[in-house]
Amino acid sequence: MSQLPSIPWERLERRQRSLPMKRAGFVIDLRRCIGCHACSISCKTENDVPLGGFRNRVRYLERPDSDRISYLPLLCMHCQDAPCLEACPTSAITRMADGRVVINQEQCCGMKACIAACPYGAIYLDAKAGKADKCDMCTHRTSLGLDPACVASCPTGTLRFGDLGDANHPVTRYAQEHGAKPFKEDAGTRPSVYYIRHEPWMNEAAATGVQITPEDDEIVYEQTGEEL
Amino acid sequence: MKQKDHLLTRRDFLKMGGALSVGVAGLGLAAPLFGNFNDQKLRIDLEKFIASRKKDFIDYTRAKAVPTICFGCTTHCGIVGWVQDGKVRRLEGNPLDPNSLGNTCSKVHGAISFTYYPERLLYPLKRVGKRGDGKWKRITWEEAIEEIGDRLKACRESGHPERFIFHYGRDKTKGFTKRFTNAFGTPNRLNRRSICSSNRRVPLMSYYGRDFEWETQDLENTKYILNFGSNPLEAYQGGMYMMHRIQRARVDNGAKMVSFEVRPSATVNCSDEYFPVMPGSDAAIGFAMANVIIDEGLVDKAFWERWANVSLSEIKAHIKDWTAEHAEKVSGVPAADIRRIAIEFAQAAPHCTTMTARGSAKHYHGTQGDRGLRMLDVLVGNVGREGGLCLSSGRMWGGGKYGQDGLPAVSQPKPRPPKPKPFTPGTPAYADLPEGVKAKVARLDSKWRNRYYGELATPSEYPLSWNWYGMKVGQLVHPYIREGRAKVDVYMSYTYGAAYGYPEAKVCREVLLDEKLVPFHVAIDIDYSEQAALADIILPEATSLERWDAHSTNCYGLIPYTGIRQPLVEPMGEARPIQIILRDLARHIGGGMEKYFDFDKVEDFYKEWYKNISAQFPGGWEEFKRRGIWQDPSRAKDYQLYERPVPKEDVVGATIDPETRVIYREKKGKKRAVGIVMEDPVTGEMKAVRGFPTPSRKIQVFDPVFPLAAQSAGLPDGDPNGAALPTLFTTPGFDALEDDDLILTTFKWNVHTQGRSSQWKYHAEVIHTNQIFINPKTAERMGLRNGDEVEITVKRPKGLTYRGGIDEVVGSVRNTVRLLKGVHERVVCFAHAGGHWEHGAVARAENHESGPAAKNGRESLLDADVSADIWWSKARGGTGNGARMNDVLPINPSPLVGGQNWFDNICKIRKVT
Repeated sequence: MSQLPSIPWERLERRQRSLPMKRAGFVIDLRRCIGCHACSISCKTENDVPLGGFRNRVRYLERPDSDRISYLPLLCMHCQDAPCLEACPTSAITRMADGRVVINQEQCCGMKACIAACPYGAIYLDAKAGKADKCDMCTHRTSLGLDPACVASCPTGTLRFGDLGDANHPVTRYAQEHGAKPFKEDAGTRPSVYYIRHEPWMNEAAATGVQITPEDDEIVYEQTGEEL
Repeated sequence: MKQKDHLLTRRDFLKMGGALSVGVAGLGLAAPLFGNFNDQKLRIDLEKFIASRKKDFIDYTRAKAVPTICFGCTTHCGIVGWVQDGKVRRLEGNPLDPNSLGNTCSKVHGAISFTYYPERLLYPLKRVGKRGDGKWKRITWEEAIEEIGDRLKACRESGHPERFIFHYGRDKTKGFTKRFTNAFGTPNRLNRRSICSSNRRVPLMSYYGRDFEWETQDLENTKYILNFGSNPLEAYQGGMYMMHRIQRARVDNGAKMVSFEVRPSATVNCSDEYFPVMPGSDAAIGFAMANVIIDEGLVDKAFWERWANVSLSEIKAHIKDWTAEHAEKVSGVPAADIRRIAIEFAQAAPHCTTMTARGSAKHYHGTQGDRGLRMLDVLVGNVGREGGLCLSSGRMWGGGKYGQDGLPAVSQPKPRPPKPKPFTPGTPAYADLPEGVKAKVARLDSKWRNRYYGELATPSEYPLSWNWYGMKVGQLVHPYIREGRAKVDVYMSYTYGAAYGYPEAKVCREVLLDEKLVPFHVAIDIDYSEQAALADIILPEATSLERWDAHSTNCYGLIPYTGIRQPLVEPMGEARPIQIILRDLARHIGGGMEKYFDFDKVEDFYKEWYKNISAQFPGGWEEFKRRGIWQDPSRAKDYQLYERPVPKEDVVGATIDPETRVIYREKKGKKRAVGIVMEDPVTGEMKAVRGFPTPSRKIQVFDPVFPLAAQSAGLPDGDPNGAALPTLFTTPGFDALEDDDLILTTFKWNVHTQGRSSQWKYHAEVIHTNQIFINPKTAERMGLRNGDEVEITVKRPKGLTYRGGIDEVVGSVRNTVRLLKGVHERVVCFAHAGGHWEHGAVARAENHESGPAAKNGRESLLDADVSADIWWSKARGGTGNGARMNDVLPINPSPLVGGQNWFDNICKIRKVT
């Protein structure tokens, strides 16, 4: 038998936390997504997200041009011009050194201005805690060099995490090679999440909320275009 | 309108600076953007943010990582669990697993939900009051073992051990429970294979000699996937192993996938072409494609002549009427497309493969139909070739050697109990059979009659369900008990959901509630299932995060491997692993049984089981546990196993049949085919090669076992189910559908698994209801709109099946409709996993706990979400947990094989006003 492969999960002890990236970001390759919800459920388990709240969600969209469904994973876009950050009256929403936008729970007073400001519906209110919450790129993982939970759980390579501030980072190159674009670019917030094979009609289809929300429980597949 | 309001609110907060920078974003990607944030004054450093997070986040610098095997579905991926403060906090893929390559789907996370589920069973319970009344008292393990053990002991000592039924839904102990039933002496270790996959395994076994666990396509190297109703990107056993390979093949290697389906499944949505087809018409398309491939001269003649056991001219004559035009008529797929796709498929050979599990097979004619579809691979010669339909040697143990040469043996510790004795005349078990059954047994060919084990384990009317191995016909077990075909002393349900999930599940419930038919019912489960609710005693089992299991299955990387499930934490409460439960019962029963369960710690048993694997590692058993997986990556891939030489030990003393050139070897008085003499295509030399593990050592496109089985089961002469050559026919009744008849087709959501996941809170949050999907055109014809309530009424099937042809309604169920393009106009799509009435608050979508587990002290299982925050409950204005479908679907085993015809349900729907 050839030499044994190393054991990747045993290399974390005594590792120092750091955020070495210039601009942390995601690339989401919609050609690969199978709508399996591994990312969204993994996120909930990892971050103990309460029922009814979502940091990460996968939406099922009926295609306007065929009889199929397209899948759209959504999370915080970690915008470079982040409306939530501007809207927060208590400065609880801040940015970390690598550009990620985070909510400091100690300073949040649950006023929901950020929720209204976000063009992506990426922030929810944890009703029990009375605090806003959203994706923080799994700082407790990524500061140790691990991928965020959603990326680590994606079985098809749809979600990728890397340094978009580094032109030579494989994720940046992958995004460029495939013409990745932000979702709802018109909102003008300069997201740090880029989509491959994102189609314009998805902007309209995915204007609100999560795949299934407490408010809109009937919907499994979301419709586009006129009511059938 | 809601959406526009939302935009306006948001605009108030949007900074002009942001809006103006639209054009920069596209360009900005390549350039380093550090320091370019508009709000750079607002910063938080890492330590401060980490400190501000909730105190109990997973700290990977101190959490302990242990590799194990997932039990989220039946695929069983290698995973790594992170344990912090004695609790499993995170599950992730094990990159050393050559099948999953470190990938997982959402279902892996279910293990955390079910292990820490507030309504999990933690103590043995005994019913008080009548069976099924839902009243329980907590008892000790000693009391439970004594009461169950006494019953079992009496049964065993009565001379009728077969009256102990062990029926499982989830048993991945890889033979441990069989050790118990064998030691006990009962053949009635029953399963649910017929619910799942019998109709597709029989064509595989008939063609290739065994089912190789599943077909194993070389997806990494394929260029063309022809999918007949299979859905590995969503909900198929083995799906995880396939989905990442399929997506890489498509996106990175330019492979094409074409799907014939009845609804937009995940696999359809990722296909390059999708044809909605009439249910049950896959085989017609397959036979038509076979005709095209033959007519266009695209057959790999060298392969066919060498390996098929029937001549091409004979096949051509047999299938000539099943043309593309015929297929267009029955399926709705244009003949021109069928021709084009058949040619594309053949031209991609050998880098092309069919994918048939399991949609095409779950029909009355599904076995014969899949035999037809199987022919496509043989015609183009992709079998066992790179990028084609490969036959990996599968698990590392059992089933006779084929492709496992040179692997370390992995086998259960000795001593191993003998198999039970067949029910032959003169045995007490045979004497116990009703006269009617004896007559059926007498009709069986000696091939089956000599290894008959009663109507539950070896149903006489379904000889092909146990011809290759004991698949059994699970959905007939309860009707057969009711009919008196078998007697029961003790019925033990092991993580089994028949009372909820079987077709016509009410029959199962009626039988289990009848104390004359089933005097004693024990359920082993991890939470309070519908099945457990009908028990006399419930035993709480350890979850997959708390126990040991052996694992090995077919590898899509085409190199055999094995893995070990090991406990990450101690069982919660008084839950115990199945190995301890059965060991203690065996010791109580005694009479020689106990010697097969001579271990104190479960780990010691598995250490012995895996001693030859441990020997592969310098660090032995500890190193194997540290990695969780063993494989020898330097081993050659399982391509073209049939061309490999016969192993040396099989050549010694072998004889060759001069006519067929099949090589036979005698072992323990049994003559066994071990290979075939073939001419080397290059040198012309005659060589002893292994061939396929079939009786002819060739691919049995022609198989005499079908007419033999038809005769043995008493099928009418000329019935197409008994055809020796693959034959096309229609589900009875499908040829005379009324205009408003629809076909109810079931499916599974990607977040759910076999009716055992509705209590996983995060998964139930995504999918908790199961409204039916129909095509908008169908809805228009019937005057239905989105959200309308309808009543669905299912008729009894026609043909040679359970109560077949009786003109009656099986049942009606109400549900709401959801219109969806892409669903075939004749189809009603109805998802499994809805309508639970047990499994606790999450599965029932209620904001209060009411199962027996709720009354146990269990501070360790407090969960802020459960049950107050189940927002989809009806009380909170949600849809609730969906409709109960399984009661209205008929028990409908296919002739000879017994696989449930899940997709043959003729129904009508009516608007409820």
